[in-house]
This record gives sequence, structure tokens and C-alpha cells, in this order.
Amino acid sequence: MIEIEDLSLSYGDRRALDGISFKVPAGAVTGFIGENGAGKTSTFRVLTTWLLPDAETQRVVVDGVDLLRDPQTACTRVGVLPEQLALPGELRVAEFLHFRSGIKNVPSRQAKAEVSRVLEAVNASDMGQRRIDTLSQGYRQRIGLADALLGDPPVLLLDEPTRGLDPRQISQFRTLLDELRGNHTLLLSSHVLGEVEQLCDRICVISKGKIRLEEDRESWTQRLGKAGRWQLELAPSADAKKVTQWLNQQPEVQSVKRDQHHWSIQSDAALGFRIGEKALEEGWVIMELRSEPATLESLFLEWTGTDSGIPAKDGEGS
Amino acid sequence: MNRTLILLRRELLSTFVSPVSWIILVLFLLVMGANMYISIIAVGGDLRQLLSSAYGGLVFWFMFLVIPPLVTMRSLAEEHRQGALEVLMVTGISDASVVIAKWAASSIFYFTLWVCLLPLWGVLSLVGDVEPGLLFTTHVGIFFIGSAFCANGILASALTAHPLAAAGLSFTFNIALFMVHFFSNLFRPGEIELLWIEHVSAIHHMVDELTRGILDLRVPVFWSTLILFSLFLATRVLERRRWA
Repeated sequence: MIEIEDLSLSYGDRRALDGISFKVPAGAVTGFIGENGAGKTSTFRVLTTWLLPDAETQRVVVDGVDLLRDPQTACTRVGVLPEQLALPGELRVAEFLHFRSGIKNVPSRQAKAEVSRVLEAVNASDMGQRRIDTLSQGYRQRIGLADALLGDPPVLLLDEPTRGLDPRQISQFRTLLDELRGNHTLLLSSHVLGEVEQLCDRICVISKGKIRLEEDRESWTQRLGKAGRWQLELAPSADAKKVTQWLNQQPEVQSVKRDQHHWSIQSDAALGFRIGEKALEEGWVIMELRSEPATLESLFLEWTGTDSGIPAKDGEGS
Repeated sequence: MNRTLILLRRELLSTFVSPVSWIILVLFLLVMGANMYISIIAVGGDLRQLLSSAYGGLVFWFMFLVIPPLVTMRSLAEEHRQGALEVLMVTGISDASVVIAKWAASSIFYFTLWVCLLPLWGVLSLVGDVEPGLLFTTHVGIFFIGSAFCANGILASALTAHPLAAAGLSFTFNIALFMVHFFSNLFRPGEIELLWIEHVSAIHHMVDELTRGILDLRVPVFWSTLILFSLFLATRVLERRRWA
């Protein structure tokens, strides 16, 4: 698992991470989402020990190892698939992975078996003798993931893992990540929110160096349900004022916007049935009744668009 | 240590499969071969004079000073720019290991260039009098001074993310060490300043001592110290990157 408490990181005068705190439970897949420059890659760079955090940082623990006290051990617990994959094109896949296993202190007797294991894990067993510069982008990503898996680190950090992949490769990569679930603690940074929604057990939203939200799937699914909208259009015979008044009285309705005989209602899914019942009772002629479920994308825009979208976590500013 | 050797092996593999390295090797052999030919004519066939003529002239110093920056310019700068350095260093390998492996690989390649000229001396020894002792001391000098120039190159490569800027910086370091010798004209023989200059002058070490068969322990000690100093600075520069 990963535990971060009051992590700060500054680049000169600019504060990239402003006292962020969050936890990634063991075995879970956590989506780490935020706009460009929000602090995702900076967080990853601290977790891999490439950058040292500011002195006021309280605690960064990776798989039980305090990164601030023992960075040498902590970085052996982390496998990383960086956004910018820099693989040596002149080497064959197996040569590269052998070199990396040596650098990662995998005993030389076990190196061959370890390379076979990770190639099998990423479904690239037949690619061992291929030169890296002849591989497709999809296979390069797999080799990057195989490298991250070398030495079987309990924590995996994946930075934009599906960037540059075609839809088929994305689908294969998702299946691959799904297979890693449970055996590894995964922190997945991605701009593709559909992917996060599909893959992740938890999400952590970061914006301007602060954590805006940290939730598990159940909570954000509930939030999505409440954030859905209904579009209702009635024939002009209906009394618009009475309809608006009735809608506002419904406990699950968050807000109602009216334009002539068209209403846009923020509410959960159960409202549709109630509108139907009421329309029959009152003799309203429904021209259109349509549900618009909220997506993680729409919520993300709301969370990161303004500071007031959702309150920052306790102790993390407005 | 094991990780340093693994990285060194990988660096050597990359160096020797790189087309740039082979271009450097071919150009080096062409230029130095032509230099040897002209030097043989210049010394009128006296092979005892050939070493100091071929390994003390302008062409020799040009190749001696220019090639280390070309060999080392990509070592850390290019890798940092591409993100490969980050991927390497997050494995827990120490900064010093990375610096030592990169320096050793570039020094080995650089020394290999000079070793490739030895067959020429072998052929010449069949037709004339080539003194192996002079060849040995000259190559000891090439090894130590060349390795120090490579260490300067690694330091320059750590200081910037742009290979060309690294090459320029490294060349500046090397030319500064080379130019020190010209200050000796300002002093008379026996003056302490002149002795100091002779202690640190690459030209004095090569032309006045090593190519004449004089191997003074101060030469390897001075250049080894310079190597350690440059590599130490390069390590500190690399560490500094972690302090965002």
C-alpha cells in the first residue's frame, strides 16, 4: 500500500504539490486523475525517489517502507511505467530485460526465469528476440510494463499507460491491467476517464497540487447517480408553474431549470418513474422524457474547473 | 559494484553498436593514418623520431582534444532529455555507479581508438626500429590524459540536457587544460610558477616526457586526481537533480 501525508514538492518558487495526503490500499487499482500540471507526475517522481520532497513532508510510506528514511529500499518496492518510455532501440527485448533485471538486483541465476515470467505476464513471450526499435507502440508499452514487473514489486505506478495506443491495443492493455489487480497495488494516472471508471476501485483527484477528492467506487457511483439529469418536455397544455413547483418538491431533485415547457432536472434515476406516474394523474402530455446519466468526465470537469466544485479534503485549503 | 559492471557492459554494447561510434573510429583512423604518413616523411624515415612527431603535433592534439567531447556528449545529457536517466536511476542504482560506468565506457572506447593504431606501429617495426618502451609510455599518457578528458566530458554532460552544449562545455574544459602550457612562456626556467605549470600541463607531460620514454609517477597521480575530481563533481550534479 501507499500512504502519503502532507507531501509537498517545490520547483524553485513554484509549489507543485501542496501538502497532499492520500492512501492507496494494498491490492487496489487507484485512478490518479487531474489536469495537465496538476501534480500527478510530480507525485510519481517522489514515489520512485527520482525527486526528493520538501522538508515539511510528514510521511511517505511505500509497502511499509518509509521513503523519507530509507529511499534505497523504498524504490525497490516500486515498479514504474513512465509516460515517456525511453527504451533502447538497438537492443533485443530479452537483452534489455536481462540488463534491467541485473540493475534491479535480481540474482543472475534467476534472471532468465524472471525475464520469461514478465514477458509471459504481458503476453509478449514471443517477442524476446525482436529488436525494440521494430516493435509497435502497443508492444513497446508491454515491454515497458514487463520492465516495471521485474523483481515483482508490490507497488506499480502507471503513468498514462494507454497513451498512443489504438483501440484494440487499449482493450488488450486493460485486460492486462485487470490481470494484475489483487497481486499488486496499482496507482494509475490517466486522462482517459472512461478507462479510470472501468478499471479503478478508487479514484484520487488532484488539482493545482492539492487533493480534491479521494473516493472508492461505491461512493463515486452514488455521486454519479445523484449528478444525473432528466430532460422533460411537456405539451403546452400543462401548467408550467405547477409542474415546476411539483418538481421542486421532490426530495431527490437537486435543481430544476425551466425553458418554456422544457425542464432540465438534476436528480437520481428514480425520478423518471415518478414523473410518468404524475403525468398520468395530471393529464400532462409528455413530448420527451430522457435520462442523461452523469459521467466521471462531467464530474471531473466540475471538481477541477473551480475550487468550489467540491471542497478540498480536510486541511487542504478551500 | 555489480550494478556498475552491468551498466558498463550495457554502455559498451550501446557504444559499439552505435553508427556514430563507427563513424568516429573511421574518421580517426583516416586522419591519424594520414598524420603518421606525413610524419614519416617529415622525420625522413627515422622511426625513433616518429613517435614524438606523430603524437606531438597539431593533428594529434586536435584529435586528442576533440574526440572525448564527441564520445561523452550524449552519455548523461541525451539520456536525461529522453527520460532514460530517470528510468535508470529509480532502480536504486547509486549516482556514483552511473557516473563511473558512463565514464569507464567512454574511456574504454576512446582508448580503443588509439589501440587501433598499434597495428601500424607493428608494420613499421618490421621495416625499422620502433622502441616498444616509448610506445608504452606514450600510451600510458594517452590513457590517463584521455580518461581525464573523458571525465570532463561526463561532467559537462551532467551539467546540461543538450548534447551539443555538453560537447562545447567539455571542449572548453579540455582546451583550458591544454592552454595552461602557453603560460610557461611568461616565466624563466627555474621559476616556481613554471614548475607548477609543468606539473599540470598536458603538452609538457606528453611531448617532453612520455613520448621520450620518461614515465614520472606524478603524471598518473595528477591526471587520476583530476579524473576523481571531475567524476565527484558529476556525481554531485546528478544528485542535485533530485532536489527539485
